[in-house]
Amino acid sequence: MMKVEKKKRYFDSSESVENCESQNDKVEVFNIKIDASKFKPDKQFIKNAKRPRGKSNFPGKAPVNEKKLEHHSRGEGLESANIKHPLYSARLKKKENKLIYAQEQAARSEILLTEEQGSIQTDKTISTSVITQNIIKDNIDIAAATKIFELNLDFGPYRAKYSRNGRHLLLGSQKGHLAAFDWVTKKLHCEINVMESIHDISWLHVETMIAAAQKEWLYIYDNNGIELHCVKKMDKILRMEFLPYHFLLAAVNEFGFMTWLDISIGEIAGHYNNRLGRTSVMTQNPYNATVCLGNSKGVVSIWSPTVKDPLAQILCHKTPLTAIAIDNKGMYMATSGVDRSMKIWDIRNLDGPVQDYRLRSSPVDLEFSQKDMLAVGLNNVVEVYENCCMQTAQRPYMRHKMAKSITNFKFCPYEDVLGIGTNKGFSSVIIPGSGEANFDALESNPFQTKKQRREAEVKALLEKIPAELITLNPFEITQVDVPSMKEQIEAKKNLLYLKPKKIDYTPRNKNKGKNNIARKKIIKYAARKEYIEQSVEAKKLLNIGTEQNAPKESYGVLDRFVSKSNKK
Amino acid sequence: MEDIEDDEFVASEHDLLVSTVSKLDKTQHIREPTRNEPTNRNTEFNLFKRSNKLDLKSVVKVLEDTSHHVKIAKKILKSQNASTVLPKPLEKPVADRIKRATGYDENKKKIGRWDPVVARSRTVDYVSFPLKHTSTKLVPTKEFLSKFKLKSPLEKELDEIEPQVIEEEEEDNQIYPMSYEEMVEHRQHLAKLRAQQSYNAAKAKRQSKIKSKKYHRILKKEKLKQQLKEFEELQKKDPEQALQKLEALEKARALERHTLRHKSTGKWAKNKLIRAKYDKDVRQQIADQLAVSRSLTHKVQDNESSDDEVDNNIVIPDVTLSQDPKNPWMLQRADKSNIDAEFDFGYKKYLNHKMYKRQDNNSDSESENNQSTEMNILKESISRITHIEHANDEIVKDVVKPTSYKTLKKQRNKLYDKKTSLSVVATSSWKVEPIVQNSGEVNINLSAAFDSLEDEVAVKVEQKLKRLRAEFENSNPSAKKTNEDPQKETDNIEYLKFKNKKTTPIIDEALIETNNLSTSEDVNVLKPACTLLEPTVPQNTSSDIDPTRFIEVKPKYLNSAIPNIDNENDDLDDEQVVPKVNIEEVFEEDDVVDSFRQEKEDEINKDKPSDIDLSLPGWGSWGGKGVKAPKRKRNRFILKAPPKIPRRDEHKGEIIINEYKDPKLASHKVTNVPFPFASVKEYEASIRTPIGNTFIPEKAHKKLIRPSIITKAGTIIEPMDEEELLVPKNRNFKNDNVIKLLAKK
Repeated sequence: MMKVEKKKRYFDSSESVENCESQNDKVEVFNIKIDASKFKPDKQFIKNAKRPRGKSNFPGKAPVNEKKLEHHSRGEGLESANIKHPLYSARLKKKENKLIYAQEQAARSEILLTEEQGSIQTDKTISTSVITQNIIKDNIDIAAATKIFELNLDFGPYRAKYSRNGRHLLLGSQKGHLAAFDWVTKKLHCEINVMESIHDISWLHVETMIAAAQKEWLYIYDNNGIELHCVKKMDKILRMEFLPYHFLLAAVNEFGFMTWLDISIGEIAGHYNNRLGRTSVMTQNPYNATVCLGNSKGVVSIWSPTVKDPLAQILCHKTPLTAIAIDNKGMYMATSGVDRSMKIWDIRNLDGPVQDYRLRSSPVDLEFSQKDMLAVGLNNVVEVYENCCMQTAQRPYMRHKMAKSITNFKFCPYEDVLGIGTNKGFSSVIIPGSGEANFDALESNPFQTKKQRREAEVKALLEKIPAELITLNPFEITQVDVPSMKEQIEAKKNLLYLKPKKIDYTPRNKNKGKNNIARKKIIKYAARKEYIEQSVEAKKLLNIGTEQNAPKESYGVLDRFVSKSNKK
Repeated sequence: MEDIEDDEFVASEHDLLVSTVSKLDKTQHIREPTRNEPTNRNTEFNLFKRSNKLDLKSVVKVLEDTSHHVKIAKKILKSQNASTVLPKPLEKPVADRIKRATGYDENKKKIGRWDPVVARSRTVDYVSFPLKHTSTKLVPTKEFLSKFKLKSPLEKELDEIEPQVIEEEEEDNQIYPMSYEEMVEHRQHLAKLRAQQSYNAAKAKRQSKIKSKKYHRILKKEKLKQQLKEFEELQKKDPEQALQKLEALEKARALERHTLRHKSTGKWAKNKLIRAKYDKDVRQQIADQLAVSRSLTHKVQDNESSDDEVDNNIVIPDVTLSQDPKNPWMLQRADKSNIDAEFDFGYKKYLNHKMYKRQDNNSDSESENNQSTEMNILKESISRITHIEHANDEIVKDVVKPTSYKTLKKQRNKLYDKKTSLSVVATSSWKVEPIVQNSGEVNINLSAAFDSLEDEVAVKVEQKLKRLRAEFENSNPSAKKTNEDPQKETDNIEYLKFKNKKTTPIIDEALIETNNLSTSEDVNVLKPACTLLEPTVPQNTSSDIDPTRFIEVKPKYLNSAIPNIDNENDDLDDEQVVPKVNIEEVFEEDDVVDSFRQEKEDEINKDKPSDIDLSLPGWGSWGGKGVKAPKRKRNRFILKAPPKIPRRDEHKGEIIINEYKDPKLASHKVTNVPFPFASVKEYEASIRTPIGNTFIPEKAHKKLIRPSIITKAGTIIEPMDEEELLVPKNRNFKNDNVIKLLAKK
């Protein structure tokens, strides 16, 4: 009656007393003989008092979601029992507990990711691909509707790129028009015409610096359009990719030369001929910072700055490649060829194709969004496919038709926006659910202030990853170099009076059953087992009518004297 | 005077007599000098030499006249009895040693109290100094205020009445190093220590004086018993240390064995041996000693292994086992590297031979001619089957001797293997397998065996068999009508390859006529034909499994939009007329795939080590074109390249993965495993998580980077005092291993 849901405050003591009384009715009373031993502080009791378990008012910390915990796991932990030295064993156990705590804490703090991914909800009869931008515009709030816009510009085919935090947009046209602006507020930073053809553009680590690959050389401008550098070491560049964590600007030129420019110190980190000829299909793998090039023979090759040969080559299509895209986690690669096919590859394991699609025309460009939607540009149509890597997509999620042909497009980070550079300007469309809803302000912050930007720049420079660490497996650095360790130990063995260390070389990530030999063995073994079982059963079934051999003559007790050879 | 003289004379006479008589004895009697009356003649002969002991008894004798005197005498005697002689002090080195030993024990105990404190501070994440800090716990205001009380008016009045006593504080609080109680305790402690020391000294002395062999023997035995007891206790508490102790004991025993202590060759034994002839006890003693020596030198036997030996003795002839290439248990034998070569005899050889023949036949196959040969082969194989069956029966007989349930089971498993392994290829395209006639028999035999042992087990086996049968029926219903359509059974992936090759078995009447076996048996022989080629097929397929076969992706034709704008429309008006060409057709002639494959091949061969030929052509033999070097030479002078390591892209189809070692990357990598780690895996696990706050939550990051020693700035850091021993976290530190380790240091 009086128990209305009311937050109990600390001064509401009277109610609490009443509550106590009412609770007393439910409490069962036991008569316990009290003796001295009862007053002894029991260890168990103390522990429980600290961390009450089971049914209690304060059951301790909330349990962590197992799946989330698994998501934050960094693999098998350390068995401190395997360390023989007791002191170090104890210390490492302590450290291990901290690492587990870190994992748990990370899983717990996921509760702070409050934003939800966008989506379209339609009747089951209507497919989402029918929904045009106009319909979307009518059904969303005004602020979001401003994200759908179009720029009609006159200087030929435009290429567009967003900055890493998704706030700024860079446009560069074939006819020399270069413009940078904050696309949300539409505030223009600069707009110039370089009076040369621009082949590609790129933001550098901050939005105050722009790289433009012009007809002859590579130029770097600031956000006011002032020319900062002219890098003459990099000439006739066709495509560029900026690797933010390594501060590398990877570029490929007309003659097939790869150049990696370290923009933090202004040095060339790698320069070599890729021997592929002219290639204008280039993309970076965000997972391991390698650069993928597609050539006219349908081969995708993966490059790193320090190795002058491709790390890997995949024959994707039998025809020239038109576009490559790699998803944010570095799991899948989408390639398309002139043969109007589009394939999805498992780029992490270098295997595939996972999916093989045939389209009505050959794609001009491909792009993965942060939430793994794949945009496919078909001359004047952009189609966005959802969930097309693990499953075979049946139909596009969204389709956007324009009256102009596409040169390139990019998904805007942390926004549900796809920016399309066309031959007549730029158009921005909304693709619900394409962007990551929660951003990490310390990683890339769309609402960054000037001070924060400077802070982040310094921090990023301090955490710069050396160019040598670009490999297919980015975790290679966490592994012990076993071959050279073996060599060292072998050398030590030759020294007199020196006891060599005994070391177990088993690597941590032993792919059990993952490699082909193991897989083969498993298949083989399974087949053999099945066969054996089947044949045994078959024989058992079929021998019903079999004739029994006549029992041997028995002599009773004298059986043992029958010679064995005779038995046989 | 005369009398006196006489007396003297007599006395001297008598003395002389006594001395002469005593001289007869020829032994020297040294008489004790007696106390004489004081004389002027102080000769050296009258001096007391041996002892100046006062014989109290003789003194007391004097005091006998009065009762009072008697009392005194008694008292004196009593005092004499009561008084004990102080022991002789120990020699200095011995005394010192004892002192040191007791001092060491005492100090060890004292310092040992700190072990858990030290161990804890070593293992703990961080130690913060100063150790003592006043508690900063905030008292709730209410509680704090409750301590203050206002004086009641009555109290105030009372205060006014009572004159205030000004208490003089005693300023002369002299600081002594110790309080009275402490001093007393200290003195007591010292006294106790001293007493202990003297007890020990006395005991040591007493014991060292004892010469009794028996005593020592008993002592030794006691010690042994004590040791044994301790060992048993240790076994319960700390098995690891017990093991060490056992090892030490073993070593001692070995040493004893090594010496000749209990042999009959020692000095003692030799002496005894001489006497043994006459003395029964001595003989017994020697016998005892020898017994001891024998017991020592007796070799220790493992009791456990004896059981296994019995098991191993049951050797089952594995004729069929060895001949079966498909038997997984055979393949698992690592020592048999070349099974094929080794077991290429008998029926298998025959089988192989037949297989080759079959291939030959296929090449020039004329169905008519072929059939007759096939028939022949079939006949042969059937006759062979009967042979094998006979062999099998014998094996079964040998085997089914109910020893124990376990062994039986093992054998049974083996039997099944044998059953499965029996297979004979008969015709060119299909295979005839013998029906296992003995399986029923085996069951019977087994059940009989089980009957004698455990009926339950038999029942279980029966049930299991039934279940398996049911399962089998479920899994392939075609098995029942196998004779009609044996091909249908092969729905496995493995058999996909061979679909085209299969032909239906032709069963002629002629076969039955020519066979000397009964018809029923013949049908049975043909029945397992259903299993068709199976033993060979899995191996064939598994040898070159191409993963692409499994991950064949079907192209999905998407209903994508057709772009309706042609940009180049305006420019390329004439090209509109050109009929639309399939782009794939345009590129068809480019042999992209082949060239890529070639590239991959080159890549593989590039870093493939090749054999090195060190032979000199023509050296020691004829050389020149077309002359092959002799085999011996080839073996000796051609250095074989190491076996190739499987590449990552070996089975990946059209993918090349460059296998290189980047020296620039290698300089960043760890090349050794640091101290507490002994395995790469453990070390890698310990560095698996980055500790920067960009990668892990801030709280965890702070935890991970906290320094191991935290000192508060501007404070004096006092050394630990004994109160630290009482701190519960120190008292409760229970990591014995660490404590032991640090205590050892």
